Amino acid sequence: MANCAGSDQSHKGPARPGWAFVAVLLTAQAWAQTPPAAAPSWQQGRSAEQAKSTLHPFAPHLTGRASSELPLDKLKVPAGFKIEVWAEGVPEARSLALGDKGTVFVSNRNLTNVYAIVDNGGKREVKKLLTGMKTPNGIAFSKGTLYVAERHRITRYDGIENNLDAAPEAKVVIDNLDPSQQPGHFWKYLAMGPDGKLYFNVGAPGNIVLPNYNQATVQRVDPNTGILETVAHGVRNSVGMDWHPATKQLWFTNHARDWISDDLPNDTLHRLSRKNMHFGYPFCHQGDLPDPEYGKGRSCKEFDAPAAKLGPHIAPLGMRFYTGRMFPAEYRNSLFIAMHGSWNRSTKHGYNVMRVTVDGTGKVTGMKPFLEGFLTDDKGDPPMWGRPVDLLVMRDGAMLVSDDYNGIIYRISYKK
Amino acid sequence: MTFTVVVPRAVAAPLAAALLAAASPFSARAADIAAGEQKAQACAACHGASGNSANPAVPSLAGQPAQFIATQLVMFREGQRKDAQMSPMAAGLTNTDLNNIAAYFAAQKLSPPKHSTTAANAEAGPRLTQQYNCTQCHGPGLLGQQHIPRLAGQQMEYLRTQLRGFKASTRFDMDGQMTSAAQALTEADIAVLADYLSGLK
Repeated sequence: MANCAGSDQSHKGPARPGWAFVAVLLTAQAWAQTPPAAAPSWQQGRSAEQAKSTLHPFAPHLTGRASSELPLDKLKVPAGFKIEVWAEGVPEARSLALGDKGTVFVSNRNLTNVYAIVDNGGKREVKKLLTGMKTPNGIAFSKGTLYVAERHRITRYDGIENNLDAAPEAKVVIDNLDPSQQPGHFWKYLAMGPDGKLYFNVGAPGNIVLPNYNQATVQRVDPNTGILETVAHGVRNSVGMDWHPATKQLWFTNHARDWISDDLPNDTLHRLSRKNMHFGYPFCHQGDLPDPEYGKGRSCKEFDAPAAKLGPHIAPLGMRFYTGRMFPAEYRNSLFIAMHGSWNRSTKHGYNVMRVTVDGTGKVTGMKPFLEGFLTDDKGDPPMWGRPVDLLVMRDGAMLVSDDYNGIIYRISYKK
Repeated sequence: MTFTVVVPRAVAAPLAAALLAAASPFSARAADIAAGEQKAQACAACHGASGNSANPAVPSLAGQPAQFIATQLVMFREGQRKDAQMSPMAAGLTNTDLNNIAAYFAAQKLSPPKHSTTAANAEAGPRLTQQYNCTQCHGPGLLGQQHIPRLAGQQMEYLRTQLRGFKASTRFDMDGQMTSAAQALTEADIAVLADYLSGLK
């Protein structure tokens, strides 16, 4: 391997450690430019026949689109529920977090901002709170502090709601989470657990690859000590987490690999009943489908099964247990999941919010659509005009839904 | 090791105010082509009248997909795609401005440059666009779609510079798609493709 010559040379550099460090940096940089770029991670794992496939992920409108030019009348919720635009002009609205004083924080993935939306007497104001961040997809709020997960670190902003026009300095909770500048799934979801620890994903660095010990996991860090632990393994990429209100167990969504077929494998929902469960990636998908390549010589029996199969390529993102009092009583502790896809199948489905019912023992008992209407042409390119990303249960019991495709946040409410 | 890092806030106050205004709820408006035309006056010096460039190094914007124009302008404004001329041009524009400018250029008719592709390249071009999967994303007529640009009738020198930049991994690329696609291109392929695409109506 010719490329290794570069790193060999760095060991022969001058003895002074500072210079050695510079030499390593220089050779690393030269090395980084030598090999040809790999295929984009979403294409990785395609078969020779699939190389001509026209399936592709969809890019958001990064300037946002006005709700007045969108077919809002197509949106459908169950009888008694109402959906309306809660805020617009929030480009690439991704994850949602609720402050103690009612501020709604909104993150970006391709863009570099965190927004704060405040209600000034019924008039909502969108403030650009933090800028210039690296893939700040993960946000969580707890006890006056906003936490932000960028691709490489987690930071905290104490007393943020008192300083929405001049955000306080970031304090680092944990750094160096992305030492290899990993390709693939480098954005993070962030959630505060009932144990006071911050939970987040480190995705797989490609569609179907052997992850390193740190990747394809769910991890947690104690913001007080900075101590990092892995809690779940074999998780290709989780971009939605919440804790069951009664059992306090962690549940999370997971995106399975692409390019097996239109109908396999399913994306999945998981329940963590003990630390260090292994959900199979890259060896086994959906609990019962050995990977055509990595599954050879392995068995799905080695791994923990998902709590539910959610549908192939449907791209489950944000998920929340409903803890409010506005919706009818049977909705309490129901799980809502935002489906951001699908793109990797010839007939599209999803682009909705599903309601999943769970019994007292943690068993999934049913699943049906709750919000539909974004998908308008299942063979179209694009097939949809909006994409749900994350959900948030507000203090009054209404539910917010973010849509990164348009930069819009919707509100779903219920009235008898 | 724990240390404190200052994360930069919105840089200039007037810019922040402008962005905030654009981001206010219920103020987002459907794209306004007339307002876009007004704002696009500043683009004409380089990109030509109605976005039809006469400069081989500067791209035509007429007939490009609106989402492509808006996306690139955001990336210039946010500093993710960098260019000595374009970065400052985009710096003061709001999202509403970008949507209007994008709608204006998308609605203009492209007058392709007076470019005659050599006979050899006219024959080799379609083969290369198949071989390198250009048509998979840019469409069968290479007219672009969504956030993906139209290549047919684009200025040759501009196309060549972009392809070289993707191959060298120096051109901004949101999803890595073009950087990856350009790796297999030889300098000779780039010359053929630029000549072919520029002459394509």
